[in-house]
Amino acid sequence: MNAVEIKNLTKNFGNIIAIDNISLNIKKGQITGLIGADASGKTTLMRLIIGLLLSDKGEISTLELNPRAQKEAVTACIGYMPQKFGMYEDLTVKENLDLYADLKGVSHDFEKVLTFTNLTKFQNRLAGKLSGGMKQKLGLACTLLGSPELLILDEPSVGVDPISRRELIKLVKDSITENTTVLWSTAYLDEAQNFDEAIILDKGKIIYQGPHQKLGDTNQKFEEKVIELMGGYKEKESEIAKDYNIKNTDVEFVVEADDLVKKYGEFYAVKNNTFKIRRGEIFGLLGPNGAGKSTSFKMMCGLSTPTNGTARIMGVDIKKNPTKARSNLGYMAQKFSLYGDLTVLENLRFFAGVYGIPILKRKKRLDEIIKIFNFEEYQDIMSKELPLGIKQRLSMACALIHEPAVLFLDEPTSGVDIIGRKEFWTHINALSKKGVTVLVTTHFMDEAEYCDRISLFYNGETVAIGTPDELKKSVNANSMEETFIKILEKNQGGEE
Amino acid sequence: MNLKIISALVKKEALQILRDPSTTIIAFVLPLMMLLLFMYGLNLDTPKVSLGLKIDDDTPQISNLIQSFNSSKYVRAKVYEDKDLMYKDISASKINGAVIIPNDFSKNLEKGDTASMLIITDGSYVNTANYVQSYPVAIANNWLSQSSYKTYLKPPVISANTRMWYNQDINSHYFILPGSFAITLNLVGLLLTALVIAREWERGTMESLLGTRVGKLDIILGKYIPYFILGILSLLFNVFLCIFVFKIPFHGSFVILFSVSALFLLTAIGIGLLISTIFKNQFLASQMSLGVGFLPALLLSGLMFPINSMPMFFQFLTMILPPRYYVTFIESEFMAGTIKNIVLINTIYLSILAILLFIAVYEKTSIRLEEGGK
Repeated sequence: MNAVEIKNLTKNFGNIIAIDNISLNIKKGQITGLIGADASGKTTLMRLIIGLLLSDKGEISTLELNPRAQKEAVTACIGYMPQKFGMYEDLTVKENLDLYADLKGVSHDFEKVLTFTNLTKFQNRLAGKLSGGMKQKLGLACTLLGSPELLILDEPSVGVDPISRRELIKLVKDSITENTTVLWSTAYLDEAQNFDEAIILDKGKIIYQGPHQKLGDTNQKFEEKVIELMGGYKEKESEIAKDYNIKNTDVEFVVEADDLVKKYGEFYAVKNNTFKIRRGEIFGLLGPNGAGKSTSFKMMCGLSTPTNGTARIMGVDIKKNPTKARSNLGYMAQKFSLYGDLTVLENLRFFAGVYGIPILKRKKRLDEIIKIFNFEEYQDIMSKELPLGIKQRLSMACALIHEPAVLFLDEPTSGVDIIGRKEFWTHINALSKKGVTVLVTTHFMDEAEYCDRISLFYNGETVAIGTPDELKKSVNANSMEETFIKILEKNQGGEE
Repeated sequence: MNLKIISALVKKEALQILRDPSTTIIAFVLPLMMLLLFMYGLNLDTPKVSLGLKIDDDTPQISNLIQSFNSSKYVRAKVYEDKDLMYKDISASKINGAVIIPNDFSKNLEKGDTASMLIITDGSYVNTANYVQSYPVAIANNWLSQSSYKTYLKPPVISANTRMWYNQDINSHYFILPGSFAITLNLVGLLLTALVIAREWERGTMESLLGTRVGKLDIILGKYIPYFILGILSLLFNVFLCIFVFKIPFHGSFVILFSVSALFLLTAIGIGLLISTIFKNQFLASQMSLGVGFLPALLLSGLMFPINSMPMFFQFLTMILPPRYYVTFIESEFMAGTIKNIVLINTIYLSILAILLFIAVYEKTSIRLEEGGK
């Protein structure tokens, strides 16, 4: 029995092919994982299944209904949780539940669902005042109301800390019956083991469907197989690092954070953050969304004034002399923050200008950058129209254009597919060997392995600092994720 | 359509309205400020002009004329001895104009000849200049009819008696304040509703809603109803302020006032929702609602500028916008009481617009993330 049947489905947005002639069946009573990077077509596929979007070609049958003609009948028997938090932030937890119970026409007995989600204590709190993990739980609670036959969950675990991630999947497993079908999308390959069946999407196509064990029983093997299915990846020497020249320095600790504090009213966004990074080191700040990574980051590069403490870059105090400190710094922001209405070349030219590359050398440097980043075919395209991976590459190029000795990268790989991430880390590793000091944030636990040292961040505080191996050994864990969970549990973690 | 769903959506919207201080500000504080502004700041009545007088004729009758200038309620007169000083004061804008009576003024009158006087106005203030031009003539004629020269005055062929109906004191507040309801109801009905659907799209709550069994009508009525109630409350507040606080005379019927206002409110909500559904973006929606809501209510409704003196194009434009019908109605309802024809015609127009707008909103609302399908 299939809950969803799809035949030759195609969906285009303008010139972009989002779903490329897909056929698939989703079995009833199973948890199916939809795995893929940003822009691989996960969200579009889910929206097509419930009739929020209409297909260009092909057929969909959802619970034996046609989502094109019977949208209201389809939505009456499913639970859909969109990727973006869909609850009303100015209503309380209880009021949101009340609303969704009425919309679904089910009873207002929330005791079970509140206990399940640990939200009982917070039922009178405004949804906007909940932490990231709790928001996801509230969204899930509203979706689960009325025990729908089919649950469609769009990246419920993105940006959530590892403990909450485990709780979310457990919550879903505990609250469904054996007849419930779940479709769960994620960008993390390592979540595959949670599902009965995995569907892996790449550029609008299915590259694998079946149980994850068939591909490999460890995360490592699974990942390698997926890369193979995506067309393979060969490690090459980094062109970017090859001719990279940095200013010599005799400062031992190139980046220093000295007791950084950021307070908003009575709330500590960052508390006593202290670390020192050696020249050529890759230092990772790891933690869930809202832990204070980005705030620390902004203080480190002088975009936000610390309430207390300071940071030094190449020995220059960022509070006293921000312009000079920043001149040694390349910064890549979390979101694509280049000018979408400028072409690739114009963006590069602009950043060459603001980073103060002398006019006479500019032309030469631009040619170099275009060559090593392979921008030849893209240079006259508007940046906003670039594919995601190229956008990421352009952001990096702009951050590196003045050959800074220090690189700050704020979640540079979020949304990028596994091959893109591998490629990215090859460059970073090669640059660090050249002596570039790198500070990077991420919420991919597996990326911690690429760092020389990491600082685990939770609720605005550093909960542990050290090399990945040291941290793993300290709590006897195999993976970074397990390490984080154990450290948090040891520190009486969990939320409030 | 499902009543339970609609009532849940209305309840949700009500909670949001109560929690959002900006809604209260737009519905109650802004109208209060506007009424205060219209009451004390804006005045379309004829202003008092200050005139310089230079009298070269010193007969006793002429001193009576000076008296007449002094006692006029339209003129503040100042007698000058020195002509140059007077000219200086005109150029310094201390006075709006001047009247010079030559020394042969009474002599000519006595002979039964035409006596002339010189009126100087400051042409850089066109409006005031018109008053400066006409007041002295009226005052002088008035004085003449009561002076000893009146024997030379021919009795006028037509005697005109003027009576200002509906607004005997020609007090512009009596129609501007009620007229401002058109602006207030537009703010509540149009601006607020334009923001709310766009906000649901921006915040992602709309996608969540559309993932449940809500239908098109549920979504639409879930917005119409709460903002209609809010608009009526705001109207009540406005009417109370106008009639009981600012003491604007009201000659009409409250039932008719509220019924027609309700219709107008529906057109405003319709436009707001239409904007919101089309643009799905709060910034664009607020700009658009200023453009098609607030400004026409102020400029193209006949509230500030008479419609029949507008260029033809704009006269046609006013016909497809609701404020014109409402302003005509509300001004007459306040000042003249219920006039069957006016109420009827404007009700018909407003009803047609309200229905057309509802249909447009229904057609444009989609229960998907893109248009099309059933």
